[in-house]
Amino acid sequence: MPRFALSIRSIPPVLLIALVGLPVLVAVWAGLTAGGGATWDHILQNRLVPYSLTTIWVLILAGLLMFAIAVPAAWVISLFDFPGRRVFSWALILPLAMPGYVMAYAWADLMGVAGPLQSSIRDATGWSARDYWFPNLFSVPGLAFVLASTLFPYVYITARAAFTMQSAATLEAARSLGTTGWGLFARVGLPVAIPAVLGGLSLALMEAAADYGAAEFLGIQTLGVGIVRSWNSFGEPNTAARLALALIFIAGSFFIIAKLFQGQRGTQQTSSRWLNPRRTELPPQSAWIATLSYTLILLICFFAPVARLLWLAIESRATAVELWPLVQSSVILGTMGTIGAFIAALVFTLSTKRNRELRFGARLVAAAGYAAPGVVLGLGALFILRETGQALTGWVAIGFLLWIYVSRFTSAGVEPLQATLERLPKNLDNAARSLGARGMNQFVRVDVPLLAPGALAAGLILFVEILKELPATLMLRPFGWDTLAVRAHAYATDERLAQATLPALLIVLAGLGPVLLLSWRLSRTERT
Amino acid sequence: MQDSNQVPEIEAQCPVANVSQLCQNANMIQRTRIFASLSLLVGAVAACSNPAETADAPEAAEATPTLTLYSSRHYDSDKALFAMFEEQAGVKINVREASADQLIETMKAEADMSPADVIITADAGSLWRFQDAGLTQPLLSETLTEVVPENYREPDGHWYGMARRLRGIAYDPARWNADELATWDTLASEDKAGEICVRSSSNIYNLSLMGELIHRYGSEAAGEWATSIVGNMARNPQGGDTDQIRAIAAGECSIAIVNHYYWVRLGASAAETDQQVAASTSFLVPEFTEGSGSHVNITGAAVTVTADNPVLAETFLAFLLSETGQSYLTTETKELPLLDTTALPDGVEAVPAFVASDVNLGVYGENQAEAQRLFDIAGWN
Repeated sequence: MPRFALSIRSIPPVLLIALVGLPVLVAVWAGLTAGGGATWDHILQNRLVPYSLTTIWVLILAGLLMFAIAVPAAWVISLFDFPGRRVFSWALILPLAMPGYVMAYAWADLMGVAGPLQSSIRDATGWSARDYWFPNLFSVPGLAFVLASTLFPYVYITARAAFTMQSAATLEAARSLGTTGWGLFARVGLPVAIPAVLGGLSLALMEAAADYGAAEFLGIQTLGVGIVRSWNSFGEPNTAARLALALIFIAGSFFIIAKLFQGQRGTQQTSSRWLNPRRTELPPQSAWIATLSYTLILLICFFAPVARLLWLAIESRATAVELWPLVQSSVILGTMGTIGAFIAALVFTLSTKRNRELRFGARLVAAAGYAAPGVVLGLGALFILRETGQALTGWVAIGFLLWIYVSRFTSAGVEPLQATLERLPKNLDNAARSLGARGMNQFVRVDVPLLAPGALAAGLILFVEILKELPATLMLRPFGWDTLAVRAHAYATDERLAQATLPALLIVLAGLGPVLLLSWRLSRTERT
Repeated sequence: MQDSNQVPEIEAQCPVANVSQLCQNANMIQRTRIFASLSLLVGAVAACSNPAETADAPEAAEATPTLTLYSSRHYDSDKALFAMFEEQAGVKINVREASADQLIETMKAEADMSPADVIITADAGSLWRFQDAGLTQPLLSETLTEVVPENYREPDGHWYGMARRLRGIAYDPARWNADELATWDTLASEDKAGEICVRSSSNIYNLSLMGELIHRYGSEAAGEWATSIVGNMARNPQGGDTDQIRAIAAGECSIAIVNHYYWVRLGASAAETDQQVAASTSFLVPEFTEGSGSHVNITGAAVTVTADNPVLAETFLAFLLSETGQSYLTTETKELPLLDTTALPDGVEAVPAFVASDVNLGVYGENQAEAQRLFDIAGWN
């Protein structure tokens, strides 16, 4: 077997890397060659450092918060029984259906100075708004909270899978040596699950880095906001693209740190005992604490904001016209985009299975697309469109939009697939090959069945992500293809939050189906 | 696209000269009622572009001319208005809604192939941007020129105002008299410390206001003004205009820099809490200095350089300036109609009378980047 050099097997992934990476590359290239001038000097002198520091702070806080919410929850739900466990095991994925910007609107309204929480404090005490301290959502921790509360399910899903699939033998050995409770989690469970958890966390952080909607609404000056501002206010898309490079660099370093850490700590399950660890009953006091905390998390990250949005819609008798066509285009674009990104992710994963360098390259390029804000990819698409001499209509527009979906989201498909692949014992692969299974044969008879659980997770995550996607859809959709996200955004920019609520809730509703399917699959693997 | 390829045939059947002739005749006959001519113009094009009347061949149904709008406004009432024009003029309207800057980049990328015929934006600065990028064409229309006051249109006809929006001050009447807030300068004074709520500086309405300040006083003075405002802020810029007005009602600040229609909409809201917010606040339209007039912004429209049927585009603009157009543009949005003859939308009568500044609105766009730079330096997030 030749190492890699010019092997035929490396052609599809190389082509795909080019396809996925092109929009980001074009945008950044244009930024580097055509940017500059007075605006860039101004940003360099006055804004670049604050933008970057704010972004790093938001990412660190959001990362810690997601870790703190998701990992213990996944551990307790995987290994213990307590009241409501079955419901929590799937319900904790619900917040994934909530777009970050919608979460920001809802919590800003709930926590705002004129919102229900603060109003009731004032009514009860007779104070004025200046007489007391109240946590300010319009702050770096506030933004980190909003992003973490919609993105922690990524970490939860991967941690759940890791805890559930860990060898019962390992845990039993640890238990027999007297390690229980917290020690079992910290010394045995967590180290085994770390690669998976970091995979989920780096996905969530790249998604957080690319956020614009929530940060803009909360007035936090992240790089995402700076990028849009240098385009909107200064009218210099090239400067925006240049600034995007800083963001990709920051997100990329998070990604590489995670990968290095994974590489060192990666543990492979070689035990043939695939039995899931048996769950034990939590003692009553701990059981209550568990039930209460997960109820609270669900309330904060899903039910309270959804209920508030519903109330806003009812209170102001909001109406929104012609929502059905929006649902249709959202679902059609979501499905097409999912298929495209999924195929790309699958090719990436399988064709780079035996080639470390190529695999790292592929994942890095996919990650760059994922961490770049949608506007930057959209800009890249427009730069490419200019070269083609076409109008942004009909199939050309759909083609570009799907291309950008693939470029942006392939990473969200690669990571779950890769995680599944990495958890499989290497000897399965070798066994298949020694039995003569190669190429297509191996793909169909060995790889597909083994990857199926990860594939389902990847597909569903992709669909929900594309459903929520806003900037690229807004820029590239053909005439008459408004999506739910586009309409929600249109109402929200006009400060009609109550009206924005209806399409926003429909996004949540449309995302709920796949999310429930994903939860169901997770519970099912657990039982087998 | 198929549809637009068919347009020239329609044009051939409906000679341009005829339409403007019709229009001019109407003008001469009824000078006092401009709108008659507008509706005639609409009717004329409607008559000759309606496939049913121009061609008997069954395939003519496919030849419905298309008018493509690139709009940065997003209102349901706009959709209803466009549907009405489709019916009246027998055309098919395509709309691409996105932010003005995204539309500019899209048009640049599409170049000669762009299907865009008309641009609609909710800010004069954006119109200037389109013009600056060479994406608009001068349209010297007597009809439009007669209706649209001079400072609300580009001198060469690159763009025309369609509705007016005021940036003003919502305030707590228990705390301030209107004359204590009569000019924008008053917000910079020390007695306003800790009293001002305003949204982020990258908002286009803040940039346009700053654009006029720069035009009037120069960069240095305008920058000093921004620094003083930052010093007087009650909190970091956050949320939208509506949130600033709510913050007054909640007592967090007593002055908010907002557009008039957000305040009007709160009063017209179905939610009781919103009505209470509006009732507990007042609104005024400050001047720059006494007698200078007030900062007015517009919703405006332009005909693109790629428009393959400028006559149809002009007809559409005229339609927006008709009584129907004006009423649909402003009823839901609570903007001020451009025409004084159109009835004010419900609730807008509460906005005090004002005199518009005579600055041409193009300066907002020209000064936009400088405005953002000054805001950044002043620390106005």
